[in-house]
Amino acid sequence: MEFDPGLFIGLFARTFTFWWVILPAIFLGLIVGAIPGFSAANTIIILLPLTLAMDPEVGLIFMVALYASSRMGAGIPAILVNIPGTAGAAATPLDGYPMTRQGRGQQALAISFVSSVFGGLLATLITLLAMPWLSQVAYYLFSVEMIVVMLFGISLIATIAARDTLKGLIAGFFGLMIGYIGADVVYETPRGTFGFLELYDKVPLIPALVGLFAVSEAFAVIENQSILSERGKAAMQKAGWSETLEGVRIALSKWWHITWTSLIGLVIGVVPGAGAAIAAFVAYQQSRAFSKTPELYGTGHVEGLIAPESANNGVTSGTLVPLLVIGIPGGATAAIMLVVLQYHGITMGPDLFMESPELAYGPFAAMAVTYFIMIFTILPLARYMSKITVVSTIYMSPIIISFTLVGAFVPRQYMFDMYLALVFGVIGYIARKTGYHTAAILIGVILGPLLETYFLRALKMSEGDVMVIFSSTLANVLWVALVASLVLPYVLQRRRKLRRGQEAEAGGTTE
Amino acid sequence: MTDHDEAEKPERKSLGGDLVLPIGAFVFTLYYFYTIIDVPRIAQISAFFVGSILIVLIAILAVRIGKEVKAGTADLRLGPLVEPHSFIPTRLALFGLTLGFIVLIEWLGFTIIVFLFLALAMLLLSKGQNKGMIFAVASVLAIGGYLLFIVAFSTRFPAGPFEQLMEKLF
Repeated sequence: MEFDPGLFIGLFARTFTFWWVILPAIFLGLIVGAIPGFSAANTIIILLPLTLAMDPEVGLIFMVALYASSRMGAGIPAILVNIPGTAGAAATPLDGYPMTRQGRGQQALAISFVSSVFGGLLATLITLLAMPWLSQVAYYLFSVEMIVVMLFGISLIATIAARDTLKGLIAGFFGLMIGYIGADVVYETPRGTFGFLELYDKVPLIPALVGLFAVSEAFAVIENQSILSERGKAAMQKAGWSETLEGVRIALSKWWHITWTSLIGLVIGVVPGAGAAIAAFVAYQQSRAFSKTPELYGTGHVEGLIAPESANNGVTSGTLVPLLVIGIPGGATAAIMLVVLQYHGITMGPDLFMESPELAYGPFAAMAVTYFIMIFTILPLARYMSKITVVSTIYMSPIIISFTLVGAFVPRQYMFDMYLALVFGVIGYIARKTGYHTAAILIGVILGPLLETYFLRALKMSEGDVMVIFSSTLANVLWVALVASLVLPYVLQRRRKLRRGQEAEAGGTTE
Repeated sequence: MTDHDEAEKPERKSLGGDLVLPIGAFVFTLYYFYTIIDVPRIAQISAFFVGSILIVLIAILAVRIGKEVKAGTADLRLGPLVEPHSFIPTRLALFGLTLGFIVLIEWLGFTIIVFLFLALAMLLLSKGQNKGMIFAVASVLAIGGYLLFIVAFSTRFPAGPFEQLMEKLF
């Protein structure tokens, strides 16, 4: 796994010749990413007969391009109508949607595209160069460390719902309890299922996402003729190509923000099972914690949009690292890629880098080329996509309800999942109307099963000793970081207030 | 009390709605605890850990709201949860249509139910105006959805009379 510039240059040049595979995959990925329920993973499953019949290299490029573009596609409805296409984009509407309501939807899309592309591109190039070291990350994280990583995610809830931290925590822990529904992984005992067999396999994520974000939003927006504010409508009428260019300029001026938040995504992506949703929320929280204007987050703040978008695209290359290096897929899409490659008789692991470097490094070259092509194909569309926000809620609301409910049906094809989405819709509606955060509930639902699994494994190994969670040095370091991430925003806020007070006093004295 | 006194009195916050979700969460947590009584101790620890924290948080919220009610700065009306009152009938009707959509999709199939739901829900929200436009939008989206989801993506949505007819024709 040594760095060979000649190999990489040849690989990139060769990958560009597959533009005819990459281009349709990009458009397909953007569409499936934007529709809740149609993730890259289940689209690749649907297209398995096609990918299995392709040459392994072509098939791999097709899957990688579809995977990367679907990640970007998921952010489009999140920004425009407050409905994330996948859980990975659940943090995107926090600042993306308020921008849309202000009539800056086109600008928000351009910022999201540039952040996604540069975040994804950067993470991919770093992965290529740092593959030997990155592959080691997964070796150091065991159940105990993962418990702290999960709790890290949960701690974000408090800071995301900062207007009322207590309500944020209640929403998050309620989500965790919902995530605990189903049979546990060790004893297989069903818990909290209300007798529904469909819940034995845990609460499915897509109906939860559809209900909490889409259905609840559709019921809430009918009070107004448009999702845009009065100022937003006026701004939308004036918007031209300059809005897209302004979005590009703003995003590029925040290049450092894109860089470090995409690196958060990359590192989290390397950890099997962690995923884009956690990466996006961690990046959002860290971006806010170190911001000079944390109070602007949640009101349509550019950095609040950049952080989750560059992080969830940083994850895409990260999830491929454990797949290629040790044969452990970092996510669902990577798992399906593994199946396709194994079908062709390709074995993952260190030998692959010696025997077929073009296949081992190929996915990263394909990802980089995809991001490169994507920026030229998608940016011009921002202006037209943003027009959806001027559609009246009379039409928008029923369309959202019907098409997202059928999206809830797609992954498992159970009628039950549509009813479940409606139940989550009611929960989401109550949460919205009473100031609880739907995103906080969703994080809980995502993290609940993961936290429980790692908890059970750790306790099983320690024969029930709860103190096992403080048994490793790395975990203890992470505990300190967790406490610091909770305390630091308050300390910084106090310091800022103190400084402002001192400045005001000094100003008063001078006068 | 004079009108002047009434005007000076600050408006009371309605916090009853804030308790709806926590009460639901509390009841669910108790039910969850009930379902894990007989499981091994190791499998109980994690749920008791999370559930207990949730109950403590709900108790803190209840105390906070109780203090405000006692101080006279808040009351237990549902407030924002049911406001604006004029939209309650429309919202309930839309909920009824959504429930009907899920129940009837098994019999009517994807295309017909999407058309019916879109047309009826749009007519409800527009108060019966723009009928021509609404039927056109509902038709285009239902057919478009059929072509995208069923023909292109081969999604196995429940088939109704329309899908069966199309299958026989093509």
